[in-house]
Amino acid sequence: MPTDPLDALRLPPVPIDPRPEFAAALWRRIEAGPGPLDRQTATVRYFVTDLGASVDFYCRLLDFEEELRPSPVFAMLYRGDLRLLLSVPGGEGAVHTLPDGTVPQPGGWNRMTLQVADLAATAEVLRSHQVAFRHDVQSGIGVRTLLVEDPSGNPVELIEPTSGYHERIRP
Amino acid sequence: MGVGTPDPDAVGALYRRALPQVYGYLLPRCGNVVVAEDLTAETFLAAVVATQQGAVPDVTVPWLIGVARHKLVDHWRRQGRDDRRRALAGPLGDAVDDPWEDELDRAAVYTALTRLNGHQRAALTLKYLDGLPVADVAAHVGRSVRATETLLARARAALRRVYREEGHAD
Repeated sequence: MPTDPLDALRLPPVPIDPRPEFAAALWRRIEAGPGPLDRQTATVRYFVTDLGASVDFYCRLLDFEEELRPSPVFAMLYRGDLRLLLSVPGGEGAVHTLPDGTVPQPGGWNRMTLQVADLAATAEVLRSHQVAFRHDVQSGIGVRTLLVEDPSGNPVELIEPTSGYHERIRP
Repeated sequence: MGVGTPDPDAVGALYRRALPQVYGYLLPRCGNVVVAEDLTAETFLAAVVATQQGAVPDVTVPWLIGVARHKLVDHWRRQGRDDRRRALAGPLGDAVDDPWEDELDRAAVYTALTRLNGHQRAALTLKYLDGLPVADVAAHVGRSVRATETLLARARAALRRVYREEGHAD
């Protein structure tokens, strides 16, 4: 029986150490068990152009914590119960590119809304870091609001509750 | 492994031993660190669930690599559905001219594999890189043996075409 040249492609598994950060993060998930994965965590995904600048912006200025940054194109942040996924669109293995080749872009007008205790103070901090404002602090119904942009131009709305503010009370 | 396992030290030892094996299986086959890490995580978390459900009495490295193989094929099948419209290999008809020289540039063939669609890549990887019999390849890709033989023939031709396009023809 003639040999098949493609049999030369046989590739026995050779151990390769993954990144230590990945190994440690996966171990934490294994130790935690699958339970937390069943939780309904409110999750928002933002597309960003510069992952490092974006992680820095959200963590340093808006009280997010970095949970995972397994690659140069993805990070997972938390702010309380809110999970924020940051993805850099395009590039190799980009799962968000549409079949027709359309690549998602940052920006637009839909935004996440984050509550802060002192909107004026927050605005000052953001202004001192040259954060772009779409509009300055203004009064709405039950809230004062501020609309800024992250480093990729995604809008982020900040609110401070005022008289008449309503939110469902958690059980 | 995971919650419910009596000896956490043993679980940790298995994890440290198995992780490079599973990752070492996945990374060269998918050629992408992000995908390899995702599939590695899926593999170990599936093992946690299976253990908790009592579905597997003893998690071993070969068992984990078997899970990883399923995860890899599932990934490529999803990708195959996604890129069906832009598949490299169009209809080839019945005539498949598939001559391969005896001496292959293996690295170039592995690179050419990454340019095939998900179904073709899965079939060729299982058959040639993993060395599985066609019947086992068929079970993994969810096709009959005959359909899998056709898939493999077309995938070989597509691979040959890409390999040739990239200047590795004889």
